[in-house]
Amino acid sequence: MKKKLEFKNFSIYFDQYLFISITLLSVMGLFFLYSASQGNLNTVIKQSIYVGFGLAIMLILSQPDPDFYKIFSSLFLLIAISLMFATMIFGKEINGAKRWLNLGFFTLQTSELIKIALPIFLASYLYNKKLPISLRHTLQTLLLICFIFYLVYSQPDLGTGLVVFMAGIYILFLAGLSWKFILTSFGFIVLSTPFIWNSFLEPFQRQRILTFINPSNDPYGSAWNITQSKIAIGSGGMSGKGYLDGSQANLNFLPEAETDFIFAVIAEEFGFLGICILLSFFFFILLRCIYLAFNARDRFCRLTIGGLSLIFASTLFINIGMVVGIMPVVGMPMPFISKGGSSLLSFYIAFGIIISMATHKKLMQK
Amino acid sequence: MIDLDERYKEKKSFFNRLIIVYAFFSFAFTFFLYRTYSLQVSEYTEYETAAIENKTKEVLVQPIRGIIYDRSGKIIVNNVPTYDLIIKPSQIKNIDSFLSDLSLIINLNSNELDYVKENFDLKASYNRELVVKKNLSEIEIAKFEVRSYRFPNAFIDVRYSRYNNYPKLFSHAIGYVGGVSNDELTNILSNQNLQQIETIFKYSNGFQIGKTGIESTYDNLLRGKFGKKTYEVDARGRLLDEMQFIKPIDGKNIFTTLDIDTQKVAYDQMDNRRGAVVAIEIDTGSIVTYLSTPSFSTNSISNGISSSAFNALIKDNNKPFFDRASQGRYSPASTIKPAIGLFGLENNIIDWNFTIDDPGYFILPEDQRVYRGWREGGHGKVNLNKAIIVSSNTFFFSLAYQSDIYKLIDYLSKFGFGANVCVDCFNPDKGLLPTPEWKINNLNFGWFKGDTVNLGVGQGYLSATPLQLAYYSSILANMGKSNELSFVYDKNEKKKTYIQSENISNLDWKKLHHSMIGVIESPIGTAKRLQELKTYTVAAKSGTVELVSTETKEDYKIIRENEGNRDHAIIIAFGPMPNPKYAVSVVIENGESGGSVAGPVAIAVLNSLIDR
Repeated sequence: MKKKLEFKNFSIYFDQYLFISITLLSVMGLFFLYSASQGNLNTVIKQSIYVGFGLAIMLILSQPDPDFYKIFSSLFLLIAISLMFATMIFGKEINGAKRWLNLGFFTLQTSELIKIALPIFLASYLYNKKLPISLRHTLQTLLLICFIFYLVYSQPDLGTGLVVFMAGIYILFLAGLSWKFILTSFGFIVLSTPFIWNSFLEPFQRQRILTFINPSNDPYGSAWNITQSKIAIGSGGMSGKGYLDGSQANLNFLPEAETDFIFAVIAEEFGFLGICILLSFFFFILLRCIYLAFNARDRFCRLTIGGLSLIFASTLFINIGMVVGIMPVVGMPMPFISKGGSSLLSFYIAFGIIISMATHKKLMQK
Repeated sequence: MIDLDERYKEKKSFFNRLIIVYAFFSFAFTFFLYRTYSLQVSEYTEYETAAIENKTKEVLVQPIRGIIYDRSGKIIVNNVPTYDLIIKPSQIKNIDSFLSDLSLIINLNSNELDYVKENFDLKASYNRELVVKKNLSEIEIAKFEVRSYRFPNAFIDVRYSRYNNYPKLFSHAIGYVGGVSNDELTNILSNQNLQQIETIFKYSNGFQIGKTGIESTYDNLLRGKFGKKTYEVDARGRLLDEMQFIKPIDGKNIFTTLDIDTQKVAYDQMDNRRGAVVAIEIDTGSIVTYLSTPSFSTNSISNGISSSAFNALIKDNNKPFFDRASQGRYSPASTIKPAIGLFGLENNIIDWNFTIDDPGYFILPEDQRVYRGWREGGHGKVNLNKAIIVSSNTFFFSLAYQSDIYKLIDYLSKFGFGANVCVDCFNPDKGLLPTPEWKINNLNFGWFKGDTVNLGVGQGYLSATPLQLAYYSSILANMGKSNELSFVYDKNEKKKTYIQSENISNLDWKKLHHSMIGVIESPIGTAKRLQELKTYTVAAKSGTVELVSTETKEDYKIIRENEGNRDHAIIIAFGPMPNPKYAVSVVIENGESGGSVAGPVAIAVLNSLIDR
């Protein structure tokens, strides 16, 4: 298996499995988006630019040696945190949420960056710690995770906040968090759930969760999305209604069809068979990530590949779980498919870094 | 740096933990895939239906109501088109400039402009039509049609109004249409398995239902069936493509047995006096004339009437809304005498030769109470024939006195008294055929012999509607055979009955007819003034309904100062004799003389029917 493309004077670090599957997924995404946006060519052109740009970034970020990321991980985190603060001050407010920073040419959702920067930093912080991770390091790590979670959560953005939180926890867990600590805190969380419910969640978030538990609560309020999404998926049947022929999406019954609920559009138009093919691409990418993690050159690389790929899996997990009506609606895009700049780019960045971690071998040391 | 052993342990721990997390995700995604499978495959039908329901909207299409004809095929009630100017707001970019262009051709008043501006956005967003101006004149239509190429998003469409060509002649017979209550509408639509939804109206007034008369009794036939248009809609409810159109089935036309010309004669004869006229074709029981006066214009009720005009009608002392023909209760008075005479013959109480001496009164043996005739001094020697011609009360008092009340009531009921005699009349009253039980229950008094005596001259508690009197008249004419009355002749639905009698022969019937002819033709007949009004023979029996009991003519002169105290004039008649085709009844409230006031109306109606 080649890990490099060799040219005459230089070689580039490259993983053809990930690169091809991600490119295919992105291109399929463009077609899905064309249908979900009811044939809005502008949306698709804009998205294609992001895809092209993203693939380039992925390729570029694959080139530096993992040590580059290890050394500069604290700097990345600092930059990401500063951008979060900048968002807090200069951010653009949409629908009562301040998540976006206008960079002139691009509106950046800064939490998408911290979603990448945090796990890399934690990997670089924990890669040389003894097993199991001591209580002091555990608490330091948890403190940082909670601080960053709070930054994202307060925008407010519960969905991304949870992903960021999980990203941190994945690294801590993979790095060797002690089982004793895990069991103790699990018990603690169970006991403190009522407290979180009452003081941490916004009323609309509580409503969403309540509606999720009992959808007959209000069919045209919060549950409208889920009802319409289920109708879209269910009416697709085994082989779907055909490309561009999904009535749920085309007649606007399906809300957020271009972003959160694009899975339902695909299910409606391509049916269960289409969904199986789509998901197999994601499974292939995840399996490839396990393989790469197993073969990574050192603990830092392993942790980073593991953490970043799990963020990818979690995002997909929340998105599909929400669209098929198993998890509450929190607002989560489908990686590489949903419309959107920052979240799309964040996954190209993540996979660029994953490829870097996987393809660079250390010459010395064993 | 960590040593090799540590490295190995770390690597193993990492792998185990990564596998744990991945195992969790594999499990979750498998579950999601299963979930998608159950939505798409197991529950497919349910969600497919839901998706179709989502994207389709059904709109009802109103049917056109049936036309109502008279018996010679002339239209009584029709649907009259009015022309409305309609626009498609979703196609119009700038409504202000559109309206200013349009108002160069068609004058729009400020109400119409305001209405358009208020509703424009809403109609545009739902892709619905908007009526700009109702009831265009011919000139406006012509002006618009010539320039219609300049207004591709406006068009003229027809909307109907229900219009009675003779609005005051048939106020009660045909009745009128009006708005529908929610319950009625739900009921009408559920007969067609439809829900109450948006509707494309053919009538300017929207949903309507027959409220009274034939419009009401035949509403089911006249109404027709709603059609249905199915549109594709988006989530906002905007109409997109028309997918299916099940055309409405227009209502059935109703061919009545009414005769416009005769109805008009009756109306003119009544001249707005309070009363009723009913005429019947004897062979079929078909109602040819059905009039209650004073009347009102059904068109103004159906198509909008000012509330002051409506209140004036409601408060009018002459009660124009009251249908006297089938709901007014009047004592039959002397018109009952032929039936009492028949009862006497049937029960062998009298025969045609039986004679009494009429001194002008009858004294009830039980209490010596005096029952007077209409003529002081009486009529001398009286048999049944003369008793009918001169309308001797004494003869019938004494005949009734000898009758068994239960037998008498039973006999009268065979002539339709106390019963519904019409198949398709709107809300007919049954009148009152009193029984001893009725009297004790309602008046708390036992039945006196005097009550039976009063029944013999059609006074007292007995009451009947003009419709029942006409039915009674037709049975007399038809020698005991009866046809249920109706506005629409349907052989199969008609109940024909025949009064079974043991002791009454055809000859008896002929003699009775002869007596009733005598009422007009005899020089001593109570309606002899009618002789000159016709060219054929008519059988009749007049009556005068006493409202206030008076002892002498002088007393009556005093009480008649108040018009409401005056006697009702009443007559039943049939002709041409000897083979009568039509039977008629006329009641004129406070008209005083059955023969000379109600009589001419009856003859005019018969003339109109027979002379043709």
